[in-house]
Amino acid sequence: MSTPDQTPSGAAAAASPASAASPDRAPAQLEFVDVVKRYPGASAATIESLSLDVPAGEILVLVGPSGCGKTTVMRMVNRMIEPSGGQILIDGEPNTTRPAAELRRDIGYVIQQTGLFPHRTIAENVATVPKLLGWPKARIADRTAELLELVGLDPEFAGRYPAQLSGGQRQRVGVARALAVDPPLMLMDEPFGAIDPITRERLQNEFLRLQETLKRTIVFVTHDIDEAIKMGDRIAVMRPGGHLAQYATPAELLLSPADEFVEQFVGADRALKRLALGRVRDLRLEETVRVRYGDPTAWVREQLRTSQVPYPLVVDADGRPLAWLDDDDLRGERVVEGVGSAVATVERDDILRDAFSDVLAHRVQFAAVVDGHGAVIGILSSDAVARELAPGPAPVEPVEAGAGPGTGS
Amino acid sequence: MSGALGSIPLLAQGGEGFVRNRESGSGASCVSDDGVCPAWIVDHFDRYMEPLGRHVLLTVVALAIGFSISFTLALLAHRRRWLIAPVVQLTGILYTIPSLALFFLLLPITGRGFLTAEIALVSYTLLIIFRNVVTGLDGVPSDVVDAARGMGLNDRQVLWRVEIPLALPEIAAGLRIAATTTVGLASLAFFAGAGGLGDPIYADLNFKSNVLVAGGLCVLLAIALDLLVLAVQRLLTPWTRAVPA
Ligand SMILES: Nc1ncnc2c1ncn2[C@@H]1O[C@H](COP(=O)(O)OP(=O)(O)O)[C@@H](O)[C@H]1O
Ligand SMILES: [Mg+2]
Repeated sequence: MSTPDQTPSGAAAAASPASAASPDRAPAQLEFVDVVKRYPGASAATIESLSLDVPAGEILVLVGPSGCGKTTVMRMVNRMIEPSGGQILIDGEPNTTRPAAELRRDIGYVIQQTGLFPHRTIAENVATVPKLLGWPKARIADRTAELLELVGLDPEFAGRYPAQLSGGQRQRVGVARALAVDPPLMLMDEPFGAIDPITRERLQNEFLRLQETLKRTIVFVTHDIDEAIKMGDRIAVMRPGGHLAQYATPAELLLSPADEFVEQFVGADRALKRLALGRVRDLRLEETVRVRYGDPTAWVREQLRTSQVPYPLVVDADGRPLAWLDDDDLRGERVVEGVGSAVATVERDDILRDAFSDVLAHRVQFAAVVDGHGAVIGILSSDAVARELAPGPAPVEPVEAGAGPGTGS
Repeated sequence: MSGALGSIPLLAQGGEGFVRNRESGSGASCVSDDGVCPAWIVDHFDRYMEPLGRHVLLTVVALAIGFSISFTLALLAHRRRWLIAPVVQLTGILYTIPSLALFFLLLPITGRGFLTAEIALVSYTLLIIFRNVVTGLDGVPSDVVDAARGMGLNDRQVLWRVEIPLALPEIAAGLRIAATTTVGLASLAFFAGAGGLGDPIYADLNFKSNVLVAGGLCVLLAIALDLLVLAVQRLLTPWTRAVPA
């Protein structure tokens, strides 16, 4: 995490580092023991005896078709719904030992519709739980600024109202608000469900990156198996009627579905889905000739002879990718400003599935891998990704150095 | 016109103070013609101040009491939904009783005066304010309430920190309708012997200057109260003016 040296000048005078605002809290261990839920008037139980164990610091994804009871299971954890039977233990302690409101202040809560308070500014929204807990003003101000930075929101948003934000920005505020007191446990009900696919992918990536440092225990609900595979450390596949069809890691789920229901739910493209298990950083990146507009074409052609990638990449002064060049673009004496075709850019933390689909959407089947500042650090070829599809128990293996296209097994 | 009022002479009182002095002041011929006489209006404007003050008092007290009762009822009914139907029926009946009839019904019980007028005026505010508060609270997005509860706000905190603030525009809308209605109805309060701008109006209905000034003050009062409530609402709900970026 970067230091908050760009916090607004009005922020508290205490020059405390980011972490000082919240004590390090250990993630919670969560356990469902024979949990039953029967809604009044319903003929059958919605959840019939569910038992699950979620290790501290992991993301549990509840996935299954609509109406199978995912939200019900999640909401029983913070007692927004009271179980009809069984127990839910948080760090070994039943969640019924404390008053519900007190319990909930310790559990982050994110829902699809965001539930942001329209009448409160972004800063006030984020400060909701700290304020309930009576934190001093200065500490709240520090923490709010820190959280906005954490979820990638400009400090200038602090004074705005939710109606003035885009859907993606609102969802970031929802996450920041849930993280405010660094809760040991978080509940997220389809948090990225109502967002356009491109923004959703970005929010998923950012959230995973955040989780790498925060290591919270998270119950994440989705009906989207792709999202489940991407986000989950463990996935609970639920069947209508609240039955647990399979509880496994994403890789286990893809390699050996427990039964026909899971197999169908996971989909016929199981092999393809395994691309969600690998990241761009797991693959060996290739290199190409980097040129600037105005460079002599003769020099570029000379360099290209020894390049792994058959296209030169135009970059700007900061090393950010601008365009791929092909033979036609190298006809003149110098590389002319503005020529070339669009570049797919991916980041090291992107999952291979997203990177692959990005590459396929471009004319040149190579993607520029960029760092946090957008500068090129290497090239990813669609062939390298395709090799990951080869069957085998280990979904991700580094590729041999300098392997050319078409050498897959 | 005075013939129609002749049937309730018992109610009309204190009109003598407003009988024109046709001899006095300038523009005597205009006055004797019952016309609109600027000079007369300027000379006699101060005699409308007492009825105006009384009118303001009648209206504001009725609104304050009416608001307290309906707001409390609405908060109760918000959690106990079964209360809504009976409250709407009861206040609906009160709302449909003609105001003059209500004065007559109350006279034997509460006698002439402020109390009788207030009981009637308050009755008319109940339905409007109650319905708007309930509608406003119902209009709060359910995901916002869900998130509030999910973060650990208790019922009272959800109500006062989330639901009521978000219902303010609707509550203010109800209050504005109630305010203008009450200003109008308060001009009938003199039938109950409670004064107000009805006093000068009915004392000399034929004299255009008189009716114009007293009626005009009624209208101005209604507009002023309406703008006042609107201003307070806008002050309290800055988020409603936030422009989407
Ligand atoms: N408050 C409720 N009262 C009665 N039945 C409900 C209630 N909430 C959910 N259900 C029922 O329970 C089942 C599971 O709902 P839910 O947990 O929302 O499923 P999911 O989140 O997987 O879509 C559905 O059949 C739904 O109709
Ligand atoms: Mg659901």
